[in-house]
Amino acid sequence: MTSFAEIDRRKLLLTGTALGAGLASGLWPGLGSAQQPESSAAPQPDDAEADRIAAEFLGGATPAAQGLVLDLPALGDNPAAVPVRVHLTDPLTDTVFCEELIVLAQRNPRPLACRFRFTPLTGSVDVAMRLRLMESMGLRALARMSDGRFLEARGEITVAAGGCGM
Amino acid sequence: MSRPPRIWISNETPAPGEIVRIRAQVVHPMETGFRFGPDGQPLPENIVTRFQAMLDGELLMEWQPETAVSQNPYIEFTFAALRGGLLRMVWTDDSGDIAEAEQEIVLAG
Amino acid sequence: MIRRRSLLAGAPTLALGMGLLGRSALAAPVALTSETTLMPRSGSGPRIVVCGGGWGGLTAARYLREEIPGAEVIVLERNPIFWSCPMSNKWLIDVVDTTYLTHDMLAPANRHGYHLVQCEITGIERDRKLVRTSKGNVDYDFLILAGGIRNAYDAWFGDDRAAAEYTRTHFPSAYIPNAEHLALKNKIRDFKGGTIVMTLPPPPHRCPPSPYERACVMAWHFKTNNIPAKILILDPKPGIAPIGGGYRAAFEELYPDIITHVPNAGVRELDPWNKRIMTEAGDFDFDEAVLMPPHQASDMVFHAGLIGTDAEGRSTGWADMDPRYFHANSDDSVYIVGDSMGAISPHFGHYPKSGHVANYIAKIVARNIGQRVRDQEVVAELPDNLCYMLVNGDPREAISVEFLYDVGADGLVHQTQIDIDVRTPDLLEEDFVWAQGMFDDFLR
Repeated sequence: MTSFAEIDRRKLLLTGTALGAGLASGLWPGLGSAQQPESSAAPQPDDAEADRIAAEFLGGATPAAQGLVLDLPALGDNPAAVPVRVHLTDPLTDTVFCEELIVLAQRNPRPLACRFRFTPLTGSVDVAMRLRLMESMGLRALARMSDGRFLEARGEITVAAGGCGM
Repeated sequence: MSRPPRIWISNETPAPGEIVRIRAQVVHPMETGFRFGPDGQPLPENIVTRFQAMLDGELLMEWQPETAVSQNPYIEFTFAALRGGLLRMVWTDDSGDIAEAEQEIVLAG
Repeated sequence: MIRRRSLLAGAPTLALGMGLLGRSALAAPVALTSETTLMPRSGSGPRIVVCGGGWGGLTAARYLREEIPGAEVIVLERNPIFWSCPMSNKWLIDVVDTTYLTHDMLAPANRHGYHLVQCEITGIERDRKLVRTSKGNVDYDFLILAGGIRNAYDAWFGDDRAAAEYTRTHFPSAYIPNAEHLALKNKIRDFKGGTIVMTLPPPPHRCPPSPYERACVMAWHFKTNNIPAKILILDPKPGIAPIGGGYRAAFEELYPDIITHVPNAGVRELDPWNKRIMTEAGDFDFDEAVLMPPHQASDMVFHAGLIGTDAEGRSTGWADMDPRYFHANSDDSVYIVGDSMGAISPHFGHYPKSGHVANYIAKIVARNIGQRVRDQEVVAELPDNLCYMLVNGDPREAISVEFLYDVGADGLVHQTQIDIDVRTPDLLEEDFVWAQGMFDDFLR
């Protein structure tokens, strides 16, 4: 069924975990000083890049602040896998459906987190995924409806400190 | 080790129009391209770039993950059961690897 | 008394038929002294004493016998029967029966040619390379400590033994085989309704995902039998981990009226007599409880004087050992296998304290001891880990977590964690294949 099994297991990313929470860092006094960096990932300094992507998606339109909901946990205790849910509140009709949806993690190195495309057959828009977030930041979801309307939802999330494996 | 995608479906025999919820997860490193390997060189980017769900041969939804999506990408989505047929899900990564899963959906009544 | 007299009277008659036994066979057992020898040495090979006949100890014994055919391997185990802690949550709701969990230990001992002695370890004198037991002393060339965990009730109650004993006997943790598991199963069966609190040990602890699985199987039992029960999971961690997403979905969708997960709820004070618990997330009264205290390395590691200390000189509660070669930092003739092991890497702390890891490390240690006995280079190896957790009783669905290890550019061990949060029946099927493979490995 899958050919992902070929992927070299030893190259898999590190994931944050609470398992080692009880670890005394004093056991490795040298750690953190002369280590080479593990990643070149750097957060966006501001929301400018996210705003640029949003503007491109909107094409000059002004989004409605109603109709789209972004559900985030109160605290992202594992920044490597923050659960994010986006859903439409109004039922879809035979004529109006959601064509496209994007999710922005505004301070990530690449703010566009993912894109969805739907069809008249979908009949319901309620999606959930897990994102890795570099730091506490604002998240944003934008939807384009088939009747030309745009919807927007925003949220803020605080993530626990610690590398998220980017 | 072969690891098939994991699929959970709220109801495989939904009533017409019932909202069906799908959860799907595949094991994939989602390597961002930002990280350095043991030799100090950047590990090449390797992420799932597309997930498609088709019902009875027609596209239900498409998801395009970027580097922000966690490793072993998890996706949950819904659809209104307007027809039955084969629900087929396909993951594609940027190296061309694919994974697939299928489930027959039969409308009740 | 009558029974005893008749037995005594019958003894000489019985002995008459055993002509091969010497006269001393009729004598009373020799009183144990501090210098009684458990077992004289036999053969010229090295003697390896394995303390603890669980997942790690029995695996080590088998593979040491294969690795070093001339070795004399002695397993010291206090339990008369093997009782598996892995799979025991499923046994609580009869997904498997008692014969699935319990195993004969003499068969693998005889098949692989190691000695199995049922006794309690009472002391370890490393300067004499000697283990003291309730049946006498045994000396060693290599020692493997595979005793699992101890319940650190002292972390809760200090030296208040009365409170610790009352808690242990009335609200057993059932985290160490084997009698407490029966007590817990009966408690669940007899529960008529009310609030059950479940305290989770703080990390690191044995089998991190299993208390959540236990909550799920208990909730499933209450749900299907219409018992008005509430389960409060008092979790010292800020969130459910591992497999947080999979567990959250199970709690919310399958047991929304039964299970409540309370994060950041480390235990501050406990009054077992009045059934009241004070935590960092508030105070709770309970009708019934599964009180799981913090875990530490098994007592034998304390006996051996091999518990680590942190930078401030405080006890870590776990073995002070080499993270790549698994022997004690202060004594390379002593290996630590399984849950008692200390921290491995600053990136993730401890290897998961699981049967799978104990089995894996035991094989690595057997190979490493074999290499040393043969004067070969000792090759450091890394384990992996795999856990499947049942979250639904009907249909039977499981979630899973896998851990992979490699050595990074910093020379330290790195961990990759793969949570499979989507609950499916095939993960439970995989679980049974995994468990059977394990049992076949060290219990056959």
